[in-house]
Amino acid sequence: MKPFKFLLALLLIGFASTQVSAQRMMTREGYIKFFSSTAVEDIEAASNQASSVLEKNTGKIAFQVLMTSFSFEKALMQEHFNENYVESETYPKATFAGQIEDLSKVDFETEGTYNVTIKGTLTVHGVAQERTVSATIKVEGENVLLETVFKVKPADHDIEIPSVVRDNIARELEVTVKAKYAPLNR
Amino acid sequence: MKTTTYKHLLLLFIFGVVGSMTYAQDDLLAELDEGEEQTVYTSATFKGSRIINLQSTELPAEGVGQFIILHRFGSLTEDPLYDLFGLDVASVRLSFDYSIKDYLNVGVGRSSGTKVYDGWVKARLYRQSSGAVNMPVSILYYGSLNVNTTRFPDDGLEHKFGERLSYVNQIIVGRKFSESFSMELVPTVVHFNTRQTREQPNTIFGLGVGGRIKLTNRVAITADYMLQAPRNTRLVDGVETAYNNSFSIGVDIETGGHVFQLHLTNSQSISDPYWMTQTPGNWFEGDIFFGFNISRVFTLKKPKRIESPAW
Repeated sequence: MKPFKFLLALLLIGFASTQVSAQRMMTREGYIKFFSSTAVEDIEAASNQASSVLEKNTGKIAFQVLMTSFSFEKALMQEHFNENYVESETYPKATFAGQIEDLSKVDFETEGTYNVTIKGTLTVHGVAQERTVSATIKVEGENVLLETVFKVKPADHDIEIPSVVRDNIARELEVTVKAKYAPLNR
Repeated sequence: MKTTTYKHLLLLFIFGVVGSMTYAQDDLLAELDEGEEQTVYTSATFKGSRIINLQSTELPAEGVGQFIILHRFGSLTEDPLYDLFGLDVASVRLSFDYSIKDYLNVGVGRSSGTKVYDGWVKARLYRQSSGAVNMPVSILYYGSLNVNTTRFPDDGLEHKFGERLSYVNQIIVGRKFSESFSMELVPTVVHFNTRQTREQPNTIFGLGVGGRIKLTNRVAITADYMLQAPRNTRLVDGVETAYNNSFSIGVDIETGGHVFQLHLTNSQSISDPYWMTQTPGNWFEGDIFFGFNISRVFTLKKPKRIESPAW
């Protein structure tokens, strides 16, 4: 009797832990764009190399992107971005680690679109900031699509904009994130 | 006895599994680091495609054209007030280059003095990187063909076009040691089709050395040097005299699309073969020339845009 109980417990635990990893969704091709709009010019940069993990059962979510993966309209802008503004050599990545606050609103088993709030820590240029953003989660077959748009102030991340280009770069950038997650199998 | 063993084992298992579960959950970010390691390429080892006179490891990105105006004034110390520190006897070079690929740049230029037209190719063979591909240095090839267009002397001899030509071949090996310090070594071969004296070599070997120390994100101190081995010569009052090695020291100032390079040098020539091997000026005798390079880049072909996913 005792060994049976023991085996049962082991099975349950084993089952539970495989369940956990099946709850993991991942992408390495997340899209992140930021957009600066001023009277002088509009500047846009995008990367399609952001990686992200979403855990369905806990609502935990993490993003990271290499700063050098952002592509600009002008190569020189890209160099200045990496060299002078975000200092990519010192701070190669931007990260976000957070939690879907209203996870109960989302039914990952049912196709549909759910509006959620994500709270977490955004780290850019080595400076961490607590952020709360609204996002849309769409369940589509076995995939999960996440989309969010929020604003970031360069000044909040100690990114200095020199006076010569102050009129060219907005005080607040619009960031768009789009990620299509697939189940993580292992 | 047996029961307790089972209980212990069970507890151990639960702790083990639960422990690993919570660890994994708290460390989603660390998990993202797993998997394929990416290659991070070093960028902006130097601000300009030239350090001062010497070519740097940089070239404009694909589809970018660059216009550079280079000025070297007359000697600072020779009749300084009469010539306003050399301002009245400036030599000028204009150049335009274009990067066909991120690794391939071609250009043309014209320098005053010996009225040299030149064309060049600059190609990056290896790029400094870390991560998946670890490459400690960048390696480039630079070659220029130079045409001296001063009139042939009226000496009754037959002169051929080939006499006007000279060639420069360089391998640039550079490394960005840190955010603030970069250095390069440039083995160089210069060949003149004609020599001015019997003793003068046609081919001169040299080793270029260049470096940069960044003071702020937009201001840097630079220097370059061309060591000739052996040194090129010319006749001074009938005596075979060696030229000096070129040494320049300057400041890079970057503003938006421009790089301003202000410097002091003992070479008044700006054309490749001439500053490398025909520098009569001597720093210690006050043959110091003030000069500047101003570059402006134009995006002629835009980089491929990363589009938003369609869904």
